[in-house]
Amino acid sequence: MENLYPPIVDGKSVYDLDSQKYLKMWQGPQHPGVTGNMSLELDISGDQVVKCKAHVGYLHRGFEKLMERRRYINCFPIVCRICVPEPDTNEYLFAAAMEDLLGLDIPERAKWLRTLNLELSRLASFVMWLGGQSGAFGMGTVAQWCLAHRDYVLDLFEEWTGARIYHMYMTPGGVRGGLPEGWDAHAEKVLDGIYKLLDEIRHVMFNNAIFKQRAKGLGVITPDMFDRFGIVGPNVRGSGSTRDIRKDTPYLIYDQLDFEAVTEQGGDVYARAKVRWREVYQSIDLIRQILKNMPRKGPLHITLPNVLHLKVPAGETYVRAESTRGEYGYYMVSDGSEYPRKVTVRGPSYTHAMALLEHLAVGVNTADVAGLMVSLHTYPPEIER
Amino acid sequence: MMRLQDILSPFYVWKRAFEKPFSIAVLSAPRPGSPTYRGFHQNDIDKCIGCGTCAEICQNVSIDMVPVKEAQDGDSGLRPRIDYGRCCWCALCVDICPTGSLTMSNAYTWVEEGLDRDVRETYCYTPGADPQPWDDEALGYRKPEGYELLHLERVPMPHLAPGERLNSFVEMVKGYSHELAVQEADRCIQCGICTATCPAHMNIPAYIKAIREDKIAEGLKILYETNPLPGVCGRICTRRCEDVCALSHRGEAISIRWLKRYLTDCASAEDYKALLESEIKPLDRKIAIIGAGPGGLSAAYYLAGMGYAVEIFEQNAAAGGMLRYGIPEYRLPYTKLDQDVAQIAALGVKFNYNACIGRDLSFDDLYNRFDAVFVSVGMFEPYRIGIPGDDNAKVISGLQLLSDVTNGVPVDLGRRVVVVGGGNVAMDAARTAKRLGCEVTVLYRRREVDMPADVEEIEEAREESVNFIFQAIPLEIKTADDGSLSFDWGKAEMVQQKPGERPQPILIEGSRENIAADTIIAAIGQGVNYLWMDGEASAKIELKKFRVQADRWGRTADTKIFIGGDMFNPTADAITAIADGHRSARAIDKMLNPPREN
Amino acid sequence: MQELLDNLKELYALNGITLRNPSLAWAEVTPERLVGLLTQLRDAHGFTHLVLMTCVDWLEDGRFQVTYLLHNYTTRQDLGLHVYVGRTASELPSIHTLWEQGRVYQQELHEMFGIYFPGSPGLGEPMILESWDGPPPMRRDFDTRVYSEETYSHRQRTHHEPEQHMKDRLYPED
Repeated sequence: MENLYPPIVDGKSVYDLDSQKYLKMWQGPQHPGVTGNMSLELDISGDQVVKCKAHVGYLHRGFEKLMERRRYINCFPIVCRICVPEPDTNEYLFAAAMEDLLGLDIPERAKWLRTLNLELSRLASFVMWLGGQSGAFGMGTVAQWCLAHRDYVLDLFEEWTGARIYHMYMTPGGVRGGLPEGWDAHAEKVLDGIYKLLDEIRHVMFNNAIFKQRAKGLGVITPDMFDRFGIVGPNVRGSGSTRDIRKDTPYLIYDQLDFEAVTEQGGDVYARAKVRWREVYQSIDLIRQILKNMPRKGPLHITLPNVLHLKVPAGETYVRAESTRGEYGYYMVSDGSEYPRKVTVRGPSYTHAMALLEHLAVGVNTADVAGLMVSLHTYPPEIER
Repeated sequence: MMRLQDILSPFYVWKRAFEKPFSIAVLSAPRPGSPTYRGFHQNDIDKCIGCGTCAEICQNVSIDMVPVKEAQDGDSGLRPRIDYGRCCWCALCVDICPTGSLTMSNAYTWVEEGLDRDVRETYCYTPGADPQPWDDEALGYRKPEGYELLHLERVPMPHLAPGERLNSFVEMVKGYSHELAVQEADRCIQCGICTATCPAHMNIPAYIKAIREDKIAEGLKILYETNPLPGVCGRICTRRCEDVCALSHRGEAISIRWLKRYLTDCASAEDYKALLESEIKPLDRKIAIIGAGPGGLSAAYYLAGMGYAVEIFEQNAAAGGMLRYGIPEYRLPYTKLDQDVAQIAALGVKFNYNACIGRDLSFDDLYNRFDAVFVSVGMFEPYRIGIPGDDNAKVISGLQLLSDVTNGVPVDLGRRVVVVGGGNVAMDAARTAKRLGCEVTVLYRRREVDMPADVEEIEEAREESVNFIFQAIPLEIKTADDGSLSFDWGKAEMVQQKPGERPQPILIEGSRENIAADTIIAAIGQGVNYLWMDGEASAKIELKKFRVQADRWGRTADTKIFIGGDMFNPTADAITAIADGHRSARAIDKMLNPPREN
Repeated sequence: MQELLDNLKELYALNGITLRNPSLAWAEVTPERLVGLLTQLRDAHGFTHLVLMTCVDWLEDGRFQVTYLLHNYTTRQDLGLHVYVGRTASELPSIHTLWEQGRVYQQELHEMFGIYFPGSPGLGEPMILESWDGPPPMRRDFDTRVYSEETYSHRQRTHHEPEQHMKDRLYPED
């Protein structure tokens, strides 16, 4: 193994491509094994990756820059676009950061609806991820089941918020409306379907000899790496940690729900997949709890001062929430004007897809790189913002 | 460690082969959007007022306001045109729409023909004006209940309690505090629909913004650009701007008048002084102004600002005209009027009081001595009731009462007062009588809804326990044995004589009722006094139906004579008079066209 | 939190200490003492998690504010450190030895703001802006609107402002 590694000159590895021992291979930016658009520049020797460099920049839309030139209310429709599979975390955090700076407390019912929205969005994102993870290991059938079921969740969103992907529901000050008539029954039907799907996934994926062979022992994250690489969410919970923001620093009404952080031992791709698969069960349970306990009457929204010329008091704050990838955060700085001075989006993929992936990919079989990458659950738009 | 189960388990997928597929046939059976789907826009263009707030909130600049109808009061005639190459379907435009005319259908497919055009010009349309298949679609996104971006309710104005009011002539409207004013100013969406309706076209959005940002001096400057009597107008303006306010469609209009008042109330002496700082280059031209009412004062201010030597001739002992002699002090304190007048005088305007043209001075003299004359004498001749007995000494005019109170002349009305009329003068007279300790009854020919008086004034009169008798036609005034008056009136019914016209009160045959009074106050309107048209100079002026003829600039048939104010415009309110004065000032300047450096 | 900051205040010459809420505080430190403070916070006070690193451009004051946000998983507290640096020839010590992701953040800040972190691996390589040759675009003096108008073609707007339109139609002479 060690003679695979090239000599190091001036602190940099030198690969002699002419020696025919090494090959440079690009995975991405358009690649079925890459979530979103990013690319991995792999130096491989035989089937083994000796060096990995992550490249981003294919989805840069300059959201943080755009927000500096927009009124606060005008930032609300764009923040959700930072993450396609789970846009609601952005909506929530933008609204929460703004409400924190304004010193506002939103109505109780809006908090429940926001939680429901976030949890449903987590569910959709996890289901899509399960499809991605299975697809990356060649199980395309599971991927199609998952995408179909995710679409059923999008149907629920469409009925509730009026849009499938970018719901633009959690407006600063509360939420944009209550649940429509008959929504609960429809939701129960969809949840039921996903519940059954999870069992099928257990049969086809988790009990699959091939998946087990490939995923176990792949991309192991050990506890000493957690803080060195800034790893969060299911990626640490797959290594025995119980860190979960919903539990540790509860926001909205998570402290009124009954759940425990999901954790698995092993720290490999298999363990992480198991965590996410179990978290879908957890999400289903939480959604049922919310629908059972949430208040059905009461105000949904407090009218802010006129949003066309709303000035937010000078100050800075940081708010966080547990997305499907872990800690998602918004750092908002106001200079007291009508425009945010700075909004920094802390996407968990930032550290997972860059520093961590580059580290974990070394020594991995080329065919497993896609599976490894998906197992870290990365979404490039939140890296580039 | 591999288990046999792990090899067999994946074959579980085969059971799916016998199940219904997930996919649906989209092309043969299009799937409709959900009932609240955010699809293509719909706009009720009759309800829409073209305020442009949708375009203002659109973060993608996807909405352009384009002309669709003729502009008119309260409607710019513009309608939103939406570019779907830019729209992100956030529906903030729907949420903020002040009239609620803009909505979204649940349609989400649109195939446009003719894509040989520049792609940037396609997929644009004006909802409501350009027909689309989803125009009548009943489903789609509407602003949800309980979610509102606008503040539709006014910040309440603190008033003196009705009981407190009756004891004195202290101003009853207390005025906004800083906090309340900013809160009220914050409601404004700055659409500017009001500006066209204001006779003086005051830059309302700009001064409201100045209040919001606490830039008082700047706000005051904006007021003076179009209105040199803002302290007055901030109290008694007929505020037609508020009638067309975009927010009034679903909620309450911005309190534009009270905000103006707030600006003048909290402006410091320095702020006022700062207005005078710009240097005036004196011109060798003299202007005479007859009447120191709002029209005359306004003309004087702007002419003096342009450098003219201005002299005002006023028949009374103080300036203000109807503002001073026709409006009671509890609505407009004299100190406020004095402040506005002082600001005008500070420009070097010369005031000649107790100078009635046609009595103390001759019009010919002015005409010859000055380069131009602006006449704004108002309407100070009260109409009589026109029934037998109305020449009784105890039958006085509303204006008489109001000016006597202003002048401090002792008034004895007795205990019972009947006021005839339904306009603002009637309300002012009734409420003044009430403050003098009388029992007051108002007699009006038509119904309450027909009253020309301000709704607020009627409400406040009610609060002050003024009685009202509607559809009452005066018949005869007699003197009773005890020396008091006996007022006969008859009940009227409202008859629609011609379709489309307002119904006329017709006396019900044989109806005759009686009310006892110590004083009867007639407040049924005033006419113009033409005493000033005495000599040769005014000969060229044309009169039609007792009104002087002039164009919109106040230019009469004699190029040197301009008119304005109540005697000229049909609305007869202060703000129109101010606008007249300003307009005539510019016309006079244009006519004289004096040489100026640069 | 207050106690911790009081203890560190003298040692690291902390300034502008603001307690936003019981679990979130901001403080200002000089570039020279930054790495020492971060190391002590990480190793002795449980602030093991680097949440984010970002930069706020205070163009008017001519300086950048680089924020390092740390999280303590035991006490669930956040501490944000501000370091101010001039907008020209900006240079800050690198923290890539403390946290692996520090190098990525530094690469981004170098690319987007032009801040130099000596020793940070791969600092000069493009991260997001491959083949970009303009100024660092997240600086506030880079005007995105001007850039987009110069670079791309737009549909001509046909917009009328209601107030001006009404003046043109209803009272053009006034």
